[in-house]
Amino acid sequence: MAILTRNTVDRLDRPSAYYISKNKRRKYSQDEEPPKEEAPDPLSNATTLYVGNLSFYTTEEQIHELFSKCGEIKRLVMGLDRFNKTPCGFCFVEYYTHQDALDCLKYIGGTKLDERIIRTDLDPGFEEGRQYGRGKSGGQVRDEYREEYDPGRGGYGRAYDAQREREEEEYGAGK
Amino acid sequence: MADYERRHNGARGGRKRRYREDDDYDRRQRRRYEEPLVAKVRRQLLTIAESAARRADDDAVTIARSVTENFENEELRNTFIDIVLDLTLEQPLKIPFLATTVLVVNNLKSEVCSEVLQKAVNLLGEYLDAGAWREVKLLLRLLGCLQCIFEGDGIFPILDELFSRAVDLQTASSDDVLGLELVKIILFTIPYIMASPATGFEQQASALLEKTDVITSTPHALVDMVNPFAIGDGRTNAVQSVISLLQSQLQGESNRGWELACLPRPWKGVRINEEDEQPPAEFGPKCPLPEISIPNPVRAGKRAIYPEVHLSVYADQDIETVPPTSDIASSLLRDALVDTINILDFNRIATAKYLIDVDCYFTPHTFVKRATPFDRLRDIPGDRPTWKPEDVAVDAVFSQLFQLPSPEHKLVYYHSVLTECCKIAPAAIAPSLGRAIRFLYRSLDTIDLDLSHRFLDWFAHHLSNFGFTWKWSEWVDDLDLPLNHPRMAFITGALDKEIRLSFAQRIRGTLLDSYQSLITEGKEKDTPDFKYLEDTTPYANEGKELMQLIRKKATDEEIQPVIASIEEQAKGLGVEDPMLPSTDAFVTAICFVGSKSLSHVLSCIERNKERLLAIGPKSPAARRQIITSVMEYWADQPGIGINIIDKLLNYTILTPLSVVEWALVDKLDAGAILAKTHVFEMVSATVGKVTNRLRQIVAARTQPGLYEPQLSLLDETLKRENSDMQSLFNVIEDRVVSIASGSNDELMERGDGSGNLPEDEIIRQWGQRWLRAFRRMAGVEQAFIAEAMANATPVGTTAPPPENNTSAGDGDMDVADADASAQAAS
Repeated sequence: MAILTRNTVDRLDRPSAYYISKNKRRKYSQDEEPPKEEAPDPLSNATTLYVGNLSFYTTEEQIHELFSKCGEIKRLVMGLDRFNKTPCGFCFVEYYTHQDALDCLKYIGGTKLDERIIRTDLDPGFEEGRQYGRGKSGGQVRDEYREEYDPGRGGYGRAYDAQREREEEEYGAGK
Repeated sequence: MADYERRHNGARGGRKRRYREDDDYDRRQRRRYEEPLVAKVRRQLLTIAESAARRADDDAVTIARSVTENFENEELRNTFIDIVLDLTLEQPLKIPFLATTVLVVNNLKSEVCSEVLQKAVNLLGEYLDAGAWREVKLLLRLLGCLQCIFEGDGIFPILDELFSRAVDLQTASSDDVLGLELVKIILFTIPYIMASPATGFEQQASALLEKTDVITSTPHALVDMVNPFAIGDGRTNAVQSVISLLQSQLQGESNRGWELACLPRPWKGVRINEEDEQPPAEFGPKCPLPEISIPNPVRAGKRAIYPEVHLSVYADQDIETVPPTSDIASSLLRDALVDTINILDFNRIATAKYLIDVDCYFTPHTFVKRATPFDRLRDIPGDRPTWKPEDVAVDAVFSQLFQLPSPEHKLVYYHSVLTECCKIAPAAIAPSLGRAIRFLYRSLDTIDLDLSHRFLDWFAHHLSNFGFTWKWSEWVDDLDLPLNHPRMAFITGALDKEIRLSFAQRIRGTLLDSYQSLITEGKEKDTPDFKYLEDTTPYANEGKELMQLIRKKATDEEIQPVIASIEEQAKGLGVEDPMLPSTDAFVTAICFVGSKSLSHVLSCIERNKERLLAIGPKSPAARRQIITSVMEYWADQPGIGINIIDKLLNYTILTPLSVVEWALVDKLDAGAILAKTHVFEMVSATVGKVTNRLRQIVAARTQPGLYEPQLSLLDETLKRENSDMQSLFNVIEDRVVSIASGSNDELMERGDGSGNLPEDEIIRQWGQRWLRAFRRMAGVEQAFIAEAMANATPVGTTAPPPENNTSAGDGDMDVADADASAQAAS
C-alpha cells in the first residue's frame, strides 16, 4: 500500500469543513496562550457517522440496507423531532470499525438514499440527547429557515410556516 | 498607471482619494498575483496530460525547464521529485508523461535526473522489501520508460533477477502464486520499455519472453476457481489467465516489431528548443542504474494473490467496442485502468474523471470520439478502431466488481465509481452500462453464483441512484419462465432489493403492467398480519395473549404460563416437539410487536433475550423454528427477515449451523430453495460471520510478541473454531452435492420421477453453482489460515528474559483487541 505524505488528489475520508470549523479554537485572540499540546484527535478512531439530508420518511431499514454495504452496523440512532418524536431527517450510524466508517465516507457519502443525496460526516460518537433536533420547533435548525419547498423534509422552513400562518390569520386565507 | 488611476477613480464618479497618496501603496495593490513557482510546477505536473486541449509534450518541456533553470531551488527540486513519484504510485495512467518530463530534465540538467532516479530506486527497494507488488510494478514502469538513459542493459537485469525469484518459487511449490505475480510484473514492464525511446533491446525482450513462457504456459490449478463462469457452455470453458494471455500478446508484438500501438509516445513530440524539428536523439547523458537489491526469497504482501482472468462484459458484440483479447491493448488498457481504480479508492470522483478521460492517456485515435453511439460505429471505415472509451472504462470497473474470489475494495466502492461516471457523463456512460447489463443478464444461467449476486446488488443500488428507471420492457418475455429460472430469480431478486432501498409503492410505479403482479399486496404492508388474530390459527388465543404481554413489556414470569399452555395443548395433540408451536407463537409475537422498525424488534428481542437464548440448548429444532417464524412473518419482505436473523446470530440466540441447516435441510424443498436470492444472501452472510471471526482469531494468534501460556490458549481456540467452520462447510457440501448431481431423493421423486424435467435441470445447475461458490469460500479460508500460520510463533515459545522484552506486545491481547489492531493495521 502506498502511504504518501500527501495524496495527488483530495481524500474523501476527511472530516467535513463543518466539523472542523465547529471545533476550531479562536485562533486570533492574542491574549490567550496557545495550547501546549495538541489534543488527541477525537476522530482518529471514530466509528460513528452523522448522516444528514435524509427524507423524514426514510426508514431505519432503508438506511440499514445502504449503510451495511460498508460493514456490519453496530447501532443506528434515528434523529427525532424533539417534540413529536418523529424522524426529522438525520441519523447516526455506528460501525464496529474505524475503517468501515472511513469507507462509508468514501463510498456512500454524497450518493443517494431514497432518491436524495445524503451527507455523511465522521462523528466523535453518539451521546444521549444528540438524537433530537436542535431547531426552535423541534426539528433540525436547517429546516427552520428553508425558502425552497422540500416535500421530503416537511415543505417550507418551519419558521416561514409559522409566519405564513400568522399572515393568513391576519389577512384571511387564500391571499 | 494613468489608465489605472482613471479607471479606479474616474469611472465610479470620483471615488474619494485614500488617506495615503504615495505611489508605493497603489503599486502594491495593483501588482498582479503571481503564483509561486513551486505551486505552479506542482499544478502543472499534477495535471499533466489531463487535457486534450494541451500538448503534454510541451508541458513536459515547460516543467523540465522550470525545474532545471532553478535547480538550486531545493524546495522546487524536491517538490518535482516527490510529485513524479507520488503520481507514479497513484495515477499510473500518467507514467509515460512523467517519464518524458524526467527525460527532458536529464537532457537539460542530468544532476536533477540522478536525484529522481536515486529516490525512485530507494522507494523501489522499500516496496520490494515489503512485498508491495503493485508499487514495484509501477516504479519499474517508470524506470522502464527511462530505459534510454541507463548504461548497459538498464532495467533488464532487474527483470532477470525477478524472474529467477519466480522460478525459485515455482520450483518450490506448484501451488505458488507469488511467482506468477512476479512474472506478471515482468510482462507488464516489457511493453513500456519497448515503447520508450530506448532502441536495440529487442533481443533482451525476446530472451526474457522465452524464459517466462515456461511459467505462463503451465495452467495453474486456481485459475478455474476464479473463472467468472461457473457452468461451461463451450464458449467460456477454457479460460486463460491474464499472464498467459499477456505472454501470447507480447510474443505477437515481438513478431510485429513491437508496434504497441496504444501506448503513448509523448517523448516523440518533445522539442527542447522551439526551432527544433525533431526530438533529441539522446535524452541527455547515460548513467548507471542505481543498485537495487531484491530480497531473497521475496516476500508476499498483505493482500492474498490469486490468478486473474480477463473478463469483458463487451466480449460478444457484433462490433468491437473494446480491444479483443488478441490485441495487447486489451491487457495494457485494463492493467492501467484497474490500478487507477484500486489505488484511488479514496476519491471516487477523481477515479471517475480519470476513467472518463482514458483517451487522453493513450495514443491519440486509439478510441473513437467520446460518446459515439454504438449504432454509429457501423459507419466507421474498416481500418479504423471502433473502441469506445466509455466501454473500456466501464469494462475495467466491472472486471473488479466481478473479481473472484474478491476485489481489493468493498463492492460498494465499485458501485460508487460507476455512479460517479454516470453523473459526470450520463449520455456517454448510460448506454454502455445498458449493454453491460444486457450481457450480464444473458449470462445469468452460466455466471458464478457469487457474481450473479454482485450483479443483482449493484443493479438495484445503481438504479436507486437514478430514479429506478430501467427498460423493463426488454425482459417482458422472460416473465413466462419458471420462477426458479436464473432470469426470473434475478428479476424478482432485483425488485426485492429495489424495494429494500425504497418502498414497494414507489417501485410499483416504475414498472410496466406485466410486472405488477410481482409486487404482491403483502409487500406494500408496513406491518404484516399477525396470524394469531385469525381464530382458525392453532393456539390463536395464546398467540394473542403473548403479543399483548410482549407489547406491555411483561416479565418472563408472566410469559411462562402462556408458553406452558401452548406446550400442554400441543402435547395433547400429539405434537412431537411441543416447543415448536410455543416458539412459533413467541417469536411471531415478537416480530409483530417489533414490526415498526429494526430498533423496535431489537428492543423486543433484548427484553426477551433470556428466554430466546434458552430455546436452542433445549431443542435444536425449536432453534430453527425461530428462523422459520421470522422468515414466515416477513415472507413478503425477506430483507427485513434476514436482517433480524443476522442480529439473532449476534445475540447467539441462533448458531451459524442452525441457519445453514434451516435452509439446506429443513427448507431445501428438493433444491428449489437454492433459486431464492435472499436465501443465498442469508447463508453467505452467516458463513461470512464465521470466517470473519476466524480471521480475527488468526490475527490474535499470529500477532508478534505473543508467548505462552496465551499462545496455546489462542491456538486451541483457533483449532476449535476452525473445525467448527469446517463442519459448517461440510454440511453445505453434503446437502448441496446431492442436488448438484441430481441424486437427491426428493428431487428424483418429483414430477414423473425421471429427474429429466426441464426444471430438474435448472435445479441441478443451481446446485452446481452453490457448490462452486461455497467450495471456493472454504478454499479461500483454508489458504488464508495456512498462509498466516506459516510464519506464526510456534506453540511453546516462552517470553524471552525480561531485559530483552522491551517493546514486544504484552501478550494478553484478546480476540476483540486483536480485531481492533488488525483493523488499525489494515
